[in-house]
Amino acid sequence: MTKRRPAAAARDVLDQLAEAEERTTLTVDGHELPVSSLDKPLWPGQGRRKGATKRDLLRYLTRVWPFIRPHLADRPIFVTRFPNGVTGKSFFQKHWEPAPPFARTVKIHSAVNDRDGDYLLCDNLATLLWLGQMAGLELHGWFSRTNPEPDATGRSRKFTGSEAALERSILNYPDFIVFDLDPYLYSGREGHGEEPELHRRAFVRVRSLALRIREILEGLGLVTFIKTSGRTGLHLYLPIVRDLDFDAARGVAETIARHVRQERPKEVTIEWAVRRRTGKIFFDYNQNSRGKSLAVPYSPRRHPAATVSMPLAWDEIERVYPTDFTIHTAPDLLEREGDAWDEMLDARQDLAQVLGAESAP
Amino acid sequence: MARAIWSGSISFGMVSIPVKLFGATESKDISFNLLHATCGTRLKQLRWCPTDEVEVPWSETVRGYEYAKDQYVTLTDEDFEKLPLPSRHTIELTAFVKESEIDPVYYERSYYLAPDERAEKPYALLLQAMEQKQLTALATITIRKKEQLCAIRPKSGAIALETLYYPDEVRQPDVDLDNTKVSERELGMAFTLIELLRKPFEPEEYHDHYREALAQLIDAKLEGREVVKAPPARETGVIDLADALRRSVEAAKKGGKARAAAKAPARRRTRTSRTRKVS
Repeated sequence: MTKRRPAAAARDVLDQLAEAEERTTLTVDGHELPVSSLDKPLWPGQGRRKGATKRDLLRYLTRVWPFIRPHLADRPIFVTRFPNGVTGKSFFQKHWEPAPPFARTVKIHSAVNDRDGDYLLCDNLATLLWLGQMAGLELHGWFSRTNPEPDATGRSRKFTGSEAALERSILNYPDFIVFDLDPYLYSGREGHGEEPELHRRAFVRVRSLALRIREILEGLGLVTFIKTSGRTGLHLYLPIVRDLDFDAARGVAETIARHVRQERPKEVTIEWAVRRRTGKIFFDYNQNSRGKSLAVPYSPRRHPAATVSMPLAWDEIERVYPTDFTIHTAPDLLEREGDAWDEMLDARQDLAQVLGAESAP
Repeated sequence: MARAIWSGSISFGMVSIPVKLFGATESKDISFNLLHATCGTRLKQLRWCPTDEVEVPWSETVRGYEYAKDQYVTLTDEDFEKLPLPSRHTIELTAFVKESEIDPVYYERSYYLAPDERAEKPYALLLQAMEQKQLTALATITIRKKEQLCAIRPKSGAIALETLYYPDEVRQPDVDLDNTKVSERELGMAFTLIELLRKPFEPEEYHDHYREALAQLIDAKLEGREVVKAPPARETGVIDLADALRRSVEAAKKGGKARAAAKAPARRRTRTSRTRKVS
């Protein structure tokens, strides 16, 4: 695993943040970025785990930038913003008009209103910190990228004009198949209508299922990667060569979901209705769709303890718990232990070849 | 010959004799599998955790010693490795005794020791010396994480090893005859009876009648086709999964109508999902 030290630019930003009053203008790689309410609490903390302010968030984003960068690069980004912290109201933002001059955007056709819209790409630290300034805590990335390099150089980069053009483009070919495991196991302390909170019993079960899925795929000769969602679930990623489109990726995920549901019918559900998921782990294979997204690796989450979605090595999974990884603990761990997903994006597997499928005539 | 269950060496003064250990006895009991009476499927044993309500893989198990009701101290493999066991892979001879001095209640299991390559000479030497002296050696050996006392003696031209119980593993009888009187006349009658039945020990004369009857019953059931057949296993194996995945990948690569048809409902689900939480 590679250990990355913060670059000079990042150290410079950390110095500015240490000295700044409640509001200031940061200079990030030569870009001016006004920031405000630096000491506003965004996470309240929970038990021994302390809360965090916007200054803490910006420090965190600066320190993890070298690790989060490859997972954001060339991907349309959605953000969940919490202007009054995670206990307040939130909204999910997809379109950015106008974006600041240093932020790159990409025009993509939207089938819903049949027009092209601007989507944000996060290719530099200034953009990431700008999202932090807007209390955009949760960073969601598409599973496909606008850049066909290095494995799909022939694919189209035309994303506008029509649904058909978008379908033919590289954005219709994901870099990985995701297995989103979400336990609908309630601790009993949730309020009416609330989602299940994180608790040990649920985590043990979702972990057991993740290990089983890894075992099944390993049996087929396929390597998977795991991260905490930062909330209650676990995310498994299967990086692939980009010659399967989203429909095929979803087909693969669905086949595996149905297989494990058959194997563990009392534990696993693929039901859409929340009521019918209760007491089981929801295996969400439908995430594998163009325009859908999961929290990117190292994204902060809305959990009161300021948890992050943490990539893990498989042999760690038995020893850890999601709240071990917060915006306070993760940067030190990363700089000390290295990045467990350092090779994830490069570990592309040719499913057709591994499975011995006949290629197209 | 059967597979060796242990290999190491006999340590005898300055001499070390490499040996392998083989079981000397085998049980011929007819064993049964438990089936589900209604469908005939062989039952599977699960390691089940009632707290988490999950099946537990071996990798998640740990040995716990119950020192008080529902209270355990746990030991890992590393803990066991750390235990001081001098007799690990050696059979350390410590004393020679007369066979008759060992009460049969101490005998646990019987094994044979066979010499390793090029160890025939010292093996034969120890065997012959014990035969001529008519003595049995006491020794310690560690088998399956447990250090055991054992007796080593000549038997049918080989060296036999019997594991022995430790004295604290042998219970004292709980029989009280202090108030029971036996007369000389009754004792005389018992002597007569014993003399009548006295003969040499010929184990070949003895059979397990219950086992023979059971085997006959099973044969009869097989003859009369009174047989319960297990239903075929459901197709859930990895091979079927690989096949299903291969088909979905092939369909995708070939494009075509089947795929277009499969697409519509997926798209619809995608749209409904807008109301779902973002995870």
